[in-house]
Amino acid sequence: MVKNITIFTTNTCAYCQMVKKYLTAKNMGYEEVNLDDNPHRRAEAHALSGAMTVPVTVVTKTDDSKEVIVGYNLAKLAPAVN
Amino acid sequence: MSEERIHDLVIVGAGPAALTAAIYTTREDIDTVIYEKGVVGGLAAVTDIIDNYPGFSEGVRGLELADSLRKQAERFGAVINLGEVLAIKNQGKHKLLDTTDGDILAKTILIATGCDYKKTGVPGESEFYALGVHYCATCDGAFYRDKKLVVIGGGNSAVQESIFLTRFATHIDLLVRSTIKASDILQRELQSYIDSGKITVHLGVSPKEIVGDEQGVNKVVATNDQGEEVIFNTDGVFVFIGLKPNTSFLQSSLVSLDKFGFINTDANLETNIKGVFAAGDVRSGATMQIASASGEGATAALKIREYLEGRLHNPKIAELEVIP
Repeated sequence: MVKNITIFTTNTCAYCQMVKKYLTAKNMGYEEVNLDDNPHRRAEAHALSGAMTVPVTVVTKTDDSKEVIVGYNLAKLAPAVN
Repeated sequence: MSEERIHDLVIVGAGPAALTAAIYTTREDIDTVIYEKGVVGGLAAVTDIIDNYPGFSEGVRGLELADSLRKQAERFGAVINLGEVLAIKNQGKHKLLDTTDGDILAKTILIATGCDYKKTGVPGESEFYALGVHYCATCDGAFYRDKKLVVIGGGNSAVQESIFLTRFATHIDLLVRSTIKASDILQRELQSYIDSGKITVHLGVSPKEIVGDEQGVNKVVATNDQGEEVIFNTDGVFVFIGLKPNTSFLQSSLVSLDKFGFINTDANLETNIKGVFAAGDVRSGATMQIASASGEGATAALKIREYLEGRLHNPKIAELEVIP
């Protein structure tokens, strides 16, 4: 079960829009961390994903375990939130 | 079978060709379903500014154009499914599409899957993917604020994305295998960045290896046209060396492809399989322009309507239509 979802995004990232669109279509809420508005959180996104890219989607489960999905990857995102 | 319904049209892909086709077909009440595995808007959506799409005197952001096309198609009733078509099979009158949502049936298919950026294939490229090697400047450029970058390529995308990346990077080395092939207007714009010292162009230079460590990429080893090794110290590499068609899902479909993997079509944009059409960048002979892709989407939609009405392959009707 999903407890909460955080997405790290930037203003110009089309793949970020797709993650948000997918979650909205599934009626799932999320917190968005826009790295253009919050550049000090870039290191956090990097540390969580191990990659210098967005979107980074962090799915926290009810047991507080976390699943991190790098990029717009439906094959990983769909099972993580369903 | 996930549903018994037979759609008039399934469009594979949701770039400008696909969305334009959907605007035309849905306005005429042709039941249209779109499947997109990546970004709605395709490569246009990940392009910073589109300067040559008619109707936008000051240019338009790729993301904005994509969103506008999507809304317009949805306004007329197009349904966009975020999923993947894994294979298509001709069953004569109907076509079967194997999708991540299960099998669906259609009377016609429009393949408008576009292209993706090619990889260089040099050592280090796949190892450092997203750790210093990137293919989307609008996505990942922000990670290189006040850093040095290398961009590989000499076409429109390489030049345009290099210019975009100057808003973050302190300096960009643009490595071009032969000569700059970008449009004249982009080359003129590039010149102003060369003059200001933000971009340095290196002609006749081919990457040989992308090198880094656990922190990420730190240099690109290349060779120049004299065969000498040249080292470019960098914090990241963006690759824009051309396009490859997204047609791997057609391998078992018997749809005819050219030697590069693009889809062969006739003057009606129909493939060798009746009722299966192709439009946009994925089509053999495509000009790789968004305006052309939109035009092809409109043409394909009109031909699909003729096919659904039984007119496209009826020689008697076709003959009547050309009489002035």
